[in-house]
Amino acid sequence: MKPFDFIQPLSTKEAISALAQYSPEVRILGGGTDYLVELKHVTQSPGVIIDISRLKELKGIGLVDAGLRIGAGVTHTELMENALIKEYVPVMIEAAHTVGAVQTRNLGTLGGNLVTCVPSMDSGPTLLALDAEVTVLKEKGSRRSNLIDFFVAPRKTSLNPDELLYEIIIPRENLGKPASFIKFGLRKGQALALVNAASALRIENGKFKDVRIALGAVAPVVMRAIKAEEHLEGYPVSDNLILEAARIAVEEAKPIDDFRASKEYRNDLIEVGTRRTLQAALAAANQER
Amino acid sequence: MTDITLTINGEPKTTSVPPETTLLKLLREDFNFTGAKVGCDVGDCGACTVLVDGLAVNACLMLAGQVEGKGVLTIEGLSTLEEYHPIQKAFEDVASLQCGFCGPGMIMSTKALIDQGQDLTRQEIKDALSGNLCRCTGYTKIIEGVIDAYEEITGKKVPANKSRVA
Repeated sequence: MKPFDFIQPLSTKEAISALAQYSPEVRILGGGTDYLVELKHVTQSPGVIIDISRLKELKGIGLVDAGLRIGAGVTHTELMENALIKEYVPVMIEAAHTVGAVQTRNLGTLGGNLVTCVPSMDSGPTLLALDAEVTVLKEKGSRRSNLIDFFVAPRKTSLNPDELLYEIIIPRENLGKPASFIKFGLRKGQALALVNAASALRIENGKFKDVRIALGAVAPVVMRAIKAEEHLEGYPVSDNLILEAARIAVEEAKPIDDFRASKEYRNDLIEVGTRRTLQAALAAANQER
Repeated sequence: MTDITLTINGEPKTTSVPPETTLLKLLREDFNFTGAKVGCDVGDCGACTVLVDGLAVNACLMLAGQVEGKGVLTIEGLSTLEEYHPIQKAFEDVASLQCGFCGPGMIMSTKALIDQGQDLTRQEIKDALSGNLCRCTGYTKIIEGVIDAYEEITGKKVPANKSRVA
């Protein structure tokens, strides 16, 4: 690793002023499971590294007015063991469980997974399916945005160099919403997703309502399959419609060919993943009534 | 330089290292605990697995500064010169390891798993070790070693696996 200056702030306030002070020659270190790997390969010093892994303000999972608040520094292991997550958004446990392996989940954080912004991130689809929002802090104030607008391009978010991802909010109306997640990888542990998918929906008067379908590793950033959602929204519940929606999702996605899987194989996985998560969300919705 | 105070295998240690020092380098080069191995050095293989405050982590993916004030347990902390830890004994009895390079990591992941105190199935054991790669034996004997150690330490039984495939 190239030498750098290392700062360990005691509060988010300190972290943000350090960010503003050293920007743009500055990087944030959270769990480090992605960034340290990158750091071992770069040929230029990042300048200053700000370690936020100890900041208590970035920890914690709790109910707030807007919904369920998850600190950006919560690790995947902490998510999986949390009682509120289990009660209100158990689908997040399934998604967290597919991240890396135990060692990765013990260090890696939800916020880090989002900020890294790789197309195959395991946390993205579930959060998009739940209409998650994020709060970003900067020296003068904060801003809230929809998670979908946070993702800009591979490894690029809407974060400005002087901003820090603070928390993820699952809106109150989506707590307990029937949802499902699936990841296709080459093995169960330590594998990047070939395709991952998440769906969430409600049933009202026998019709699909608030349908969300989100896909990962099939486009430059995690995406929603809007046309597939519209194919279901407001229509009477039917298995056949789900099959059709899954095929529509394939047309919306733009998967690539690479050494892990061909485009054709990914297209098949998109259809299967969309179908299965919709079916599972529907089964959960039916059980709820 | 970053000043660091931590405990390694229960003993307080203090040192000062360049900020870019990883926990793995700190353990191996500053304190001569060479049990944790440098395998892939990017968090894929688990050969450098140690416990930090009881949690299994890849020592290659932490900076030394991040373990300030924490307790680190390495393979050297498990046994004495006279006696193996029950996990090590089980791995020896079953002949879990061939070349042994993955062994310290496998054993530390096993230690973290058993310390959680939960009832375990074979699938949960495999899941807990999925971040540790072995290129010699093919895992079957390792899983057997973990099961034996778990049963020895806790007095519980892992439910029998109906399939013959591990």
